Amino acid sequence: MFYRRWLYHFIRRPAVSPYPFRPDPAALARPGQIVTTTRQFGRSLAVRHVDGGSSNGCESELALLGSPVYDWSRFGFGFTPSPRHADLLLVTGIITEAMVPHIRETYDAMPEPKLVVAVGGCAGGEPGYFAGLPGVVGDLGEVVPVAARIPGCPPSPNDILAVLLAVVEAPAARRAGGRLP
Amino acid sequence: MNDPSPIAAVSKPDALRSAITDARARGDAILDIYRTDRDLRAAILKPGERTVYEPKLGSGPFIRPSHYGVLGFFALEVDDARADWWASEYPVDRVSGRGIHVMPLGPVRADVAESLRYVLTVFGDDIHHVRLVPGYKHRHVEAAIVRQGVRRAIRVAERVTGTSPVAHAWAYAMAVEEALHISVPVAALRERTCLAELERLMSHLGDLAVLAASTGTVTAAADLLTLKEMVLRFNQAAFGHRYLRDRLEVGGGSPRQVEKQALLSFVAEVEREFRQVRRALDRTNSFLDRLHGAGKLPTGDPLGLRLTGFVGKSSGHASDLRWDRTYGTYGDLTQDLNPVHVDAPDAFGRYLVRAEEIRQSLTILKRLEGLPPEEPVPGREGRFGSGVGFGLVEAPRGRLFYRVAVRGMDVTAVRIATPSSLNWPAVPVALAAHNILQDFPIIDASFSLSVAGLDL
Repeated sequence: MFYRRWLYHFIRRPAVSPYPFRPDPAALARPGQIVTTTRQFGRSLAVRHVDGGSSNGCESELALLGSPVYDWSRFGFGFTPSPRHADLLLVTGIITEAMVPHIRETYDAMPEPKLVVAVGGCAGGEPGYFAGLPGVVGDLGEVVPVAARIPGCPPSPNDILAVLLAVVEAPAARRAGGRLP
Repeated sequence: MNDPSPIAAVSKPDALRSAITDARARGDAILDIYRTDRDLRAAILKPGERTVYEPKLGSGPFIRPSHYGVLGFFALEVDDARADWWASEYPVDRVSGRGIHVMPLGPVRADVAESLRYVLTVFGDDIHHVRLVPGYKHRHVEAAIVRQGVRRAIRVAERVTGTSPVAHAWAYAMAVEEALHISVPVAALRERTCLAELERLMSHLGDLAVLAASTGTVTAAADLLTLKEMVLRFNQAAFGHRYLRDRLEVGGGSPRQVEKQALLSFVAEVEREFRQVRRALDRTNSFLDRLHGAGKLPTGDPLGLRLTGFVGKSSGHASDLRWDRTYGTYGDLTQDLNPVHVDAPDAFGRYLVRAEEIRQSLTILKRLEGLPPEEPVPGREGRFGSGVGFGLVEAPRGRLFYRVAVRGMDVTAVRIATPSSLNWPAVPVALAAHNILQDFPIIDASFSLSVAGLDL
């Protein structure tokens, strides 16, 4: 039985996803190379995601960043399960009061230097239909210092990737002012 | 392994019911009713028995002989387990015993996940009891809908659950149209059907990608995510939004006609690619072995759960509103099709139902183009008055229900029952049935429920 499989794989290669599969022209406009060569972050960037009350749309788009179509790992990005290893915090959703302590705790657990990016219009201070409801903070900037905001409902993976690249490549002084993008 | 010492444990539901009735009559508090591998249990707190939830006096470190390996068979050690491992913030529904401890998980969880806390009671690797703590992302959706006008509130309904906006918008629109006696033109119904099936396709492909990734089948996960991206791009090209938002209107709006050839070639391509992925998955033992028997739900419904969607279809609650309560243009499209039904109440069954439903959605999309041209009956604008209407739609995750009360141009009240809120109670049951912690991500992914649909 083993040799049957062995022969089968010898004759026909096992299935793999061709890379890059159906590439997105906007995402592939820049060469796939490690971009984070600044002294602050080295050559890889660990990202931690926290849901601050989203509708699940931003999560769906964030999950696609790892797909072969966008493949953000070619730039050195990757999700990390622990905030202790994270350089960058992505927060989605209208910020609910119940999530504020958890976002703050996650931020405090991250080592310096660290960045926070608000994904989606809701976290970026435009909660739209949810503005002013009880228990809705509506702006991530009131909870933790935000380096960049990505508008959109939900923002496409292209937009997210573009802003993340801009944030990481920006000089530290501009980044600290929160004037990106 | 020590048996967790419950406060009341019986093997028959009737006996438990009478025990609970007696306890209520005595004035005791019922903290929780839960199910373990063998029986149903109730945690009953008697007014005078506060010590049950506090460590006994003298249970500090290095006092008992058993700490030095002497007389370890004394049952007194149970108290040590409580004192050492039980966190004070979880006072309710404790399962206690030697070696049993609580593992809180969330609301900040691994990778990209929504905010929800699982309180897992584990013995080593075995999951014994699970409690869900929602409420972290409660957004007052119903209040947000009520304060908008009738027409604008549909945009809020689209933002209840981001991955099924069409189902929510359709259910809302259906409720308002019933309340105000508005008839919708056939062209609009056809567009809604097309959008709903595209959404089902997108949602199921994304769910299966997460499921494949949770078992370590990364090639299939990458392929399925690529397929999902294909659907999203088709949505963007044909309807102007990746998640099909901002298309549906109360009363029909101005339906957009999809180019027939573009839709057919898209469907054919997805069908071809998905067949390949499915074929590879069905032959991958490392994928199938992790699914078989994982997260098995009890058959016969001992808990009175009303399961819906693919969870229900795989565990003996087969119902699909597209057949049972036909709406839109489904009557013509689904005449000779049958709702998917699988007799395997585990993760494998939930995988199989979704894989079959993807095929079915593609068939329906193909037939949508073969329908005869609609008769030119314009939509009739109903009288604006007051009324109450119901909307029942088969969302990707199951039955979705809206009840909307309208007065003039205002929504006065709305109630939403999402499929996720119906199916979430089954997750603790499935997790605590002979599973270990390593199965947790697989079972979680096999349900793939949205927390946004639970925390409205």
